[in-house]
Amino acid sequence: MSIDTKTMPQALPSGRRRPGGAPVLIGIAVAVLLLLALLAVFAEWVAPYDPLRQSLMEALQGPSTAHWLGTDDLGRDVLSRLIYGCRIAVIAAAEATTIAVLLGVPIGLFIGYRGGLWDWIVMRIVEAVVSIPGIMVAIVIIAILGAGLHRAMIALGILFSTSFLRLARGVVLAEREEVYVRSARVVGASDSRILMRHIFPNIAPPLIVQVTLTVGAVLLAEAGLSFIGLGVQPPQASWGTMLNTAAAFMDFNWFLSVPPGIAIILTVLSVNLLGDVLRDSIGRGIAVDADPRAPAARYAAELPATAASAPVPRRDDEILRVEHLQVMVPGRAGGEVPVITDLSLSIGRGETLGLVGESGSGKTLTGLAILGLLGAGVRATHGSIELNGRDLRTLPRSGLEEVRGNEVAMVFQDPTTSLNPAFTVGSQIAEVLRVKQGLGRRQAWARSVELIDRVGIPRPAERAGAYPHELSGGMAQRVAIARALSCNPSLLIADEPTTALDVTVQQEILDLFRDLQDEFGMAILFVTHDLAVAADICDRVGVMYAGEMVEMAGVDALFADPRHPYTSGLLSAMPHASDRNPPLPTIRGNVPRPGTWPLGCRFADRCDFRIAACDRRIPLTGSRRQVRCVRAGEPELEAAS
Amino acid sequence: MLKLIVQRLLALVPLLFIVSVLTFSFTSLLPSDPVDLIIGDAGTQEQYEMVRHRLGLDEPVHLRYLQWLGRAVQGDLGTSFFNSVSVTGAVMQRLPVTLSLTVMSAIIAIVIGVAAGVAAALRPRSWIDRFATLGATFGQAVPNFWFGLILVAIFAVNLRWFPATGFTPLTQSPWEWLRSVILPSIALGTSSSAAIARQVRSAMVGVLQQDYIRAARAQGLPFRRVIFRHALTNAMVPVVAVLSFQITVLLGGALIVEQVFAINGLGTLAIGAVRQQDIPMLQGLVLVMVALVVAVQLATDVIYGLINPKARPS
Repeated sequence: MSIDTKTMPQALPSGRRRPGGAPVLIGIAVAVLLLLALLAVFAEWVAPYDPLRQSLMEALQGPSTAHWLGTDDLGRDVLSRLIYGCRIAVIAAAEATTIAVLLGVPIGLFIGYRGGLWDWIVMRIVEAVVSIPGIMVAIVIIAILGAGLHRAMIALGILFSTSFLRLARGVVLAEREEVYVRSARVVGASDSRILMRHIFPNIAPPLIVQVTLTVGAVLLAEAGLSFIGLGVQPPQASWGTMLNTAAAFMDFNWFLSVPPGIAIILTVLSVNLLGDVLRDSIGRGIAVDADPRAPAARYAAELPATAASAPVPRRDDEILRVEHLQVMVPGRAGGEVPVITDLSLSIGRGETLGLVGESGSGKTLTGLAILGLLGAGVRATHGSIELNGRDLRTLPRSGLEEVRGNEVAMVFQDPTTSLNPAFTVGSQIAEVLRVKQGLGRRQAWARSVELIDRVGIPRPAERAGAYPHELSGGMAQRVAIARALSCNPSLLIADEPTTALDVTVQQEILDLFRDLQDEFGMAILFVTHDLAVAADICDRVGVMYAGEMVEMAGVDALFADPRHPYTSGLLSAMPHASDRNPPLPTIRGNVPRPGTWPLGCRFADRCDFRIAACDRRIPLTGSRRQVRCVRAGEPELEAAS
Repeated sequence: MLKLIVQRLLALVPLLFIVSVLTFSFTSLLPSDPVDLIIGDAGTQEQYEMVRHRLGLDEPVHLRYLQWLGRAVQGDLGTSFFNSVSVTGAVMQRLPVTLSLTVMSAIIAIVIGVAAGVAAALRPRSWIDRFATLGATFGQAVPNFWFGLILVAIFAVNLRWFPATGFTPLTQSPWEWLRSVILPSIALGTSSSAAIARQVRSAMVGVLQQDYIRAARAQGLPFRRVIFRHALTNAMVPVVAVLSFQITVLLGGALIVEQVFAINGLGTLAIGAVRQQDIPMLQGLVLVMVALVVAVQLATDVIYGLINPKARPS
């Protein structure tokens, strides 16, 4: 039970979604609380017996027709005592909560508004109080005031006032600096007027929520205090005192403990549930999720299964070969939506293949698909991914784990988030060496210092002991590259590895990739949206659009002679150092979201050269040089590019 | 790490000072005169003055505070008004009992909470996820002493697997100790375990989406290693930050649950002291509890610094 104010859920928006929105549950909760209120008011009429009427002849009986819930040690009717207990529960909750609000809110408003020494002293006292277990605070206050329902509720009121105090103070601190409060002060409004008119209304919503939470906590605390004999005093019937009796007669009639316990649980659950609902509706406003509308009729989520694209020619030095890969993600309206279709590519030993395209074209997912790390719900449904002659899609998890790191590794976009913040960078490289290559602790550490040195970080032995947050972005990316290369993989997937870095650092990292490729001889799949970067580092470039490859060519050929209108558009949108100020042409429209792709050419809606044939599915054609466009090679297109 | 500990200890000084002032000053808030309580109605004026002098109550209040504090720092918490036993002795005698319950229930809460939280985070919407959520909702509404009563009814009264009441010291018989603390610790720890599970779950779900988890897996580290070393270490950061609160709650809960199992711990001592208006005893109890809470806070702060390098003083 949470008698402690600090473990009580706080009323301020927490961002955490909790179940409790089901209308049926809310209905039940309201019904339970209504019943409680009615029983409390009409206890005299509803209860079958006087709750204090003793009948020792009938003591400790189980449930019967005369006594539905049995009798206690003095032969008193349990049902009647339970009903009268409702009254005590309502009084207790009302008293303690009222005291907590009346005590906590004004003090909180005052110290929050005045600040300074008052704030400091009161907050230190509050901290001291909340560092003692709540029940002990209540016990001490009861020692001063004496036991009994009303005194115990004053004690709980004082205890729970700390949470209202902090809440009111927090709101004031937030509002005090708001423009409208400051301007009210400037025009000379008095402090009390500012507090009442401008600040108090902002406290009302979280206050209401906090009240419901406090009511639940008070009910539990009252039961606890009465149970240990410091709250409601016998013979008065409260759920806590009934449990006290039940505990004493556990061996004779354990059923005595059930009815009051159920009453407490049902009441507190109902109050908490209403509190949750209030918090969700008040604390957050009404959050409207974007409407996942079904795609328009002429678009299709599903695709024709067959794609007649030309096979990628086999090469002798082939490291990676991806054929007809299709990747699906869970759709917002159920079902699955394709994000990558009919994707084929191959990379030779020591070669750098660039994947370019706008965000959302599926470049990154392609990299993750090769590693088998697509994430929850996302899956590759068609095609093959052959790395060093083995189809990775058929490997079990352990086999894939074996391949990752040893044969293929990945460098991510943001180096500051791709290194684990809890461990030193040296230990993160050493861990890979120990797990993947079975090196000893000391050996692995020495090797990781070597690697850190190799990627061009000065004072490597010292930097190995640094945590990621102590390194600059460029430095962290060097470490990430060192880790990726630690097991000498034949393929390195680099996902926008320079995008998050400063422009000056970008070039250094690109140079590092080139140097390392010369030394380690790995192939690189280089994912980037930056054509200048691709032109700088890649041997061949594949252009992706809306989940498919639209053009693939050697880097010089692609830049000199783009064959797909999308590639031409991308190239003409590239800034050149030579021309000064001409406005950059842009491709009109946006990349269509997965699930809204046109059935034919996916670029058709943005293309200036659209013809009727573009409404059919277009295959990728050609061998060394591939393009997915029915009009590729036509003079009109050539002239435009 | 030493720097962190020293820093945290220094930060505790104002807290301890205010707690000691509060604790000391509540003597004067009591409605009854402690001297009257001791000498009773039949005492003469002479006796009254003598007791008053013996208790030091005729001295100025700040001197009394300093003397009391000086003795408290040396471990002397005074003498019970009621039966003249040493408060330190009485508290120390009961402390292992309450600590047994608190530590045991904390272990139960953390082990079950972390395991359930991780399982729920790995499989959102699975039965274990739903169960943990449901448990957390109920855990907030079920009085732990009532849960204790139900456990007694089932496992002690009906099945007779465990003793219904009493406590066996660990030093006397570890096995009997375990049997005597297991039911109260479950009663205490279950609701906290649900709360911890919910925190672990939400932290873990967030961590599992981080790049460094994907990067660790891309590096071919085994799944279990990634989950339990890379993810859990980071997911525990926010959990450890609030763990000391949970343990404070368990300490408070132990005072009540002790009553269910007729265990003679600090709770029984505190309830007796309230009934008898035994001021030195209550003061001593509050101070000892604050010391315990502070020790727990310090321990969790150190763990927090260990798993979260950003929190360490540079």
